Amino acid sequence: MATIPGNDPLIRAIPAAAGERVTARSQARQRLAFIIMLFPVLALVILVRLIDLAVVQGIPKSSGPTISAAPPRGDILDRNGVELARTFEAYAITVMPRRLTSDPEVLATRLATILPERTREEILADLTSGKSFRYLARRVLPGQARRINELGEPAIELAREAERLYPNYALAAQALGYTDDKGHGLIGVEKAFDADLADPVKRATPLMLSLDVRVQQAMSHELAALVADQNAKGAAGVVMDVNSGEVLAMVSLPDFNPNVPGKRADGTVYTTANDDGSRFNRVTLGGYELGSTFKAFTIATALETGVLTNLQKQYDATRPLEVAGFRIRDDHAKNRWLTVPEIFIYSSNIGTARMALEVGRERQREYLDKLGFLKPAEFELKEKTKPQFPPLSNWGQLATMTISYGHGLTVSPLHLANGYATLVNGGFYRPPTILKRDAAAVPAGTRVFSEKTSAEMRRLLRLVVTNGTGRKADVPGYRVGGKTGTAEKIEGGRYVRGQNVVNFAAVFPVDAPRYVVVAMIDDPRGSKATYGFRTAGMVVAPAIHRIIERIAPPLGVLPDYNRDVNLAGLLPGGADVKE
Amino acid sequence: MDLLNGPWRRELARLPWGVVLLISAIAGFGTMVLYSAGGGSLDPWALKHGVRFAILLVGALALAMLPPERWLALAWPIYFTLLLALVGVELVGAVKGGSQRWLNLGFMEFQPSEMMKLAIILAMARYFQYVPKGYESKPDVLLPALAIIAMPVGLVMLQPDLGTALSIMFGGIVVMFLAGVRLWLFGAAIAGVGALLPVAWNLLHDYQRKRVLIFLDPESDPRGAGYHITQSKIAIGSGGLSGKGFLQGTQSHLDYLPELHTDFAFATMAEEWGLMGGLFVIILYGLVLAWGIRTAVNAGSQFQRLLALGLMSTLFFYLAINMMMVMGLAPVVGIPLPLISWGGSSMMTVMILLSLVMGVARANRPNRD
Repeated sequence: MATIPGNDPLIRAIPAAAGERVTARSQARQRLAFIIMLFPVLALVILVRLIDLAVVQGIPKSSGPTISAAPPRGDILDRNGVELARTFEAYAITVMPRRLTSDPEVLATRLATILPERTREEILADLTSGKSFRYLARRVLPGQARRINELGEPAIELAREAERLYPNYALAAQALGYTDDKGHGLIGVEKAFDADLADPVKRATPLMLSLDVRVQQAMSHELAALVADQNAKGAAGVVMDVNSGEVLAMVSLPDFNPNVPGKRADGTVYTTANDDGSRFNRVTLGGYELGSTFKAFTIATALETGVLTNLQKQYDATRPLEVAGFRIRDDHAKNRWLTVPEIFIYSSNIGTARMALEVGRERQREYLDKLGFLKPAEFELKEKTKPQFPPLSNWGQLATMTISYGHGLTVSPLHLANGYATLVNGGFYRPPTILKRDAAAVPAGTRVFSEKTSAEMRRLLRLVVTNGTGRKADVPGYRVGGKTGTAEKIEGGRYVRGQNVVNFAAVFPVDAPRYVVVAMIDDPRGSKATYGFRTAGMVVAPAIHRIIERIAPPLGVLPDYNRDVNLAGLLPGGADVKE
Repeated sequence: MDLLNGPWRRELARLPWGVVLLISAIAGFGTMVLYSAGGGSLDPWALKHGVRFAILLVGALALAMLPPERWLALAWPIYFTLLLALVGVELVGAVKGGSQRWLNLGFMEFQPSEMMKLAIILAMARYFQYVPKGYESKPDVLLPALAIIAMPVGLVMLQPDLGTALSIMFGGIVVMFLAGVRLWLFGAAIAGVGALLPVAWNLLHDYQRKRVLIFLDPESDPRGAGYHITQSKIAIGSGGLSGKGFLQGTQSHLDYLPELHTDFAFATMAEEWGLMGGLFVIILYGLVLAWGIRTAVNAGSQFQRLLALGLMSTLFFYLAINMMMVMGLAPVVGIPLPLISWGGSSMMTVMILLSLVMGVARANRPNRD
C-alpha cells in the first residue's frame, strides 16, 4: 500500500503551519482529481474531433479553387485488373502576369528548373505577356507544386484539379479515349461509358474492360514495326475471343497519347490541317473493302444453303469472267476448273463469283445480314462505321459476284473479326464487347451456320495456312488458320490505283478455336523484308505469326505438335501433307 | 544453480511488464507507420526506429532501477547542469550565428532544451518537496519557483524554440498547480498573460505569428503555411472508419502530406488505419497514462507524487497537442507524437520520462522487501 504522506520521514521533518495541514491535504487531492479529470475530457475532445474528421465529414473536398471542373471519375481496368485510366489530383499552376511582384527574369529561371517540360523562354513569355491570366503548367506533381509555392510569388496560384491519367500512354488510346477539361469523355470507352464513369455511385467500382494489356501491347508493337517497315499509312488490329465476343486487343495506328490529346509526341498541336487521323479508331470507325478474307463467308453460305454438298465440287476458272462489261480476274490464275479448297487457297475470284451466283442475291444478303455486315457493329463504342453496300435496286448479278470476294461492301475490321468468330465458333453470332464478360454473362448467340459448316470452314482456313497464301502466318504447335485479303483502297468514294488495304484474318488453335486475330495494313509500300511485295501473304502473314507467337503463351494456349484438324481429302494428290 | 535463483530473477519479475508491453505495442505500431511512410521500406526510418526503441527500452529499464531518493538528490545538479548547457548553446550560437539548439559533445550531439522538459519537473518536484504544507502560495516560496521556470524558458525562447519553451513552462506550472499553489494566483497569471499578449505578439518571429494566425483560420491560406493542416485533415478524413489499408495511403505516399514521418505521423497513420488506428493509439496511451496516475496516487512522498504526475502530464501534453495540431485544433508547434514519430531525441526524452515513473512505481510496490 501507499505510504501515507504524513508518515514519510522527509515530510515529517518539516513543521506544518498550524491548522493548514488537513486543508492542504484535501486540496492536494482536489488538484490531483482535477488533473485526472482533465485527461479523459481532453481525450474525449480529441476522439470527437477524430470521429468528426474521419467519419462525419468523410472525405473532404479538396480545398482551394478548382480550375478544371472535372469531377472524380471511375477507374478503367483491363481484364486482369491492370490500370488503364485513373483520376488523381494534380495541380494546375496559374499566374496573373499583371500582378507579378518579382522580377520575371529571375522568376522564369527558377520556374524553369522546377518545370523541366517548359523552357525558360516559354515561361518568360508567359510572365511578361501582360495578360491577366495564364496557365504556367498543368498536371504538376505535389512535390513540384510545393517548390513553386515556396517561391513565394503571390501572383502564382496553385489549384488542385482532378486529372485523368493513362499510365500506358498511347496503348489502346482510341479504344480508351480521353476526356475534355470538364471531364466528359470525348471518344472511346470514356465517351461510351461516360455516364457510368461519372456516376457518383457507380464510379466507385472500376470499369473492367475485356482488353488485355499484354495482348494489346504485343499487337500494337508488331503492327507499329510493320507500319514503319512498310512505310504504310496506318494499321488496325483486333484480337477477339471467338466464344465470348470479348475484344482482347484493339489497335489503331497511328495513335496518340491520351494524356495530352491535343498534342503530338513532338509537341506540335493538332489543327484540322495537320490532323494525321491518329484519334480515328480504324478498327471500329474505319470502313474498308476487305477483299479475299470475305470469300470464307461466301463458301460458308454456299455450304449452309446446300449449294455446296461436296467440297470437291468444281468451278470453271479457265478464263476471266465477263459480266456487264466488267472483267473478273484471278491474281494467281490457274486457268482450269478448281475445287472449293483450291478456290479458297488460290483465292480465286472467278470461282467464288460463280459460287455466289448459285447462292443468289437474296440468300447472300440474308447471310451477310445475319453476320451483322449490313449495319453498324453491335458494340459499345460510339465510333462505328455504317457499312456501305449497294441498295437493293443496284444489287444485281455483278454486285453479288464482287461482294462474294469482298469488293463493293465496306465494313470495319471489327465486323470482320466478329464474322470470323462466327465462322469458327460453331456458327454462333454474338455481339462483340469491350467489357469483360463472365462465363455466365456470355450471350447464347444466334445460330448463323451449322456446326458442320463451321467445322468445314476451320479445315479450309487451316489449309490456307498449310498450303496456300497464308503460310507465313503459321506458328508450329499453335494450329493457325486464316485467310489473306487485299483490296484497292477507297478514298472519297473512288478507288486509288496502286494503294492497297491488305489484311489477314487468323484463328488459333483452329481445331478448337479460341481467338481470332485480324490485322490490316493501310497502303504498305513493300520493303526488303517482303522482297518488295505488298500482298497480305507477304506483308501481314509474318506479322500474324509474330503476334500469335507472343500472345498465345499469356493467353494460356498451349502448343501441341500432335494435334491438328484433318485436312485429308481436301486437295488431290496428297497436297494435304504439310510442306 | 545459484545463478538461476539469484536476486536478479526477483528484480526482473518486479519490472513493470504491463507498461513495457504497452509502450512496445505503441512503438511497434509506430514502426509500421514509418515503414509505410518510407514507401513500404525499412529504410530510412522504420528499422532505425525499432532498433532505437529496443536500445532505449533496455536503457530505460536500467534507469528505472534508481530509487526516487536518488533522483531527489540529483534534481538540482541535473537542473543546473542543463541550465549551464543552455547558456552554452546560446554562446556557441552567438559565435556561429543563427539559431542553435545543439551542443556538440564530440561523441554525440546533445540538445539540452529537450532534457530540460524533464529536468524542470524534477527540479520543481524537488523544490516543493521541502516546502511545508500551506506555505506554497507565500511570495517567498513562489518567487524562486517562478525563477526556476523562467530561466530555462527564457533561454529556450532565445533559441528560438517556441514549442519546447511552452513544454517547459507547462511542466513547471503543472507541478506548481499540483503542489497546491492557490487557484486565484493562476487566475491572476492568466489575466496577466492576457494583458501581456500584445507585447508578446511583437516579440514573436514572423513565422511564429503566421503559425498562430493560420491556426486561427487555416482556410485563409490553404496553399501556404495552412497547407500542413489542410492536407493532414484530408489524410485523416480520407481514412474514414477503417482506413485505406496498410501501405495504401495516397496523401502520404504521393507526397501531399508534409512531415509525414515526424510531426504528422498521426495523419499518416490515420489515413491507412482510419478511426480504428486512431482509437488504438489513444487507448494504448490511455492505459499508459492510467498506469502513471495510479503510480502517482500510490506514491510514497510529495516528491514522488509530483514527479510522477508532472511527468505524466507532460506526456499527455505532447499527445494532446500533437493530435490536436494534426486535427486542426491547435497550432502547428512542432511537437512529435511520442514513440510513433521519427526522431531520436524525442524518443529518448519519452523513454527517460517513462523510466522515471517506472522508478517511482517500483519504489512503491506493495511486496517490496
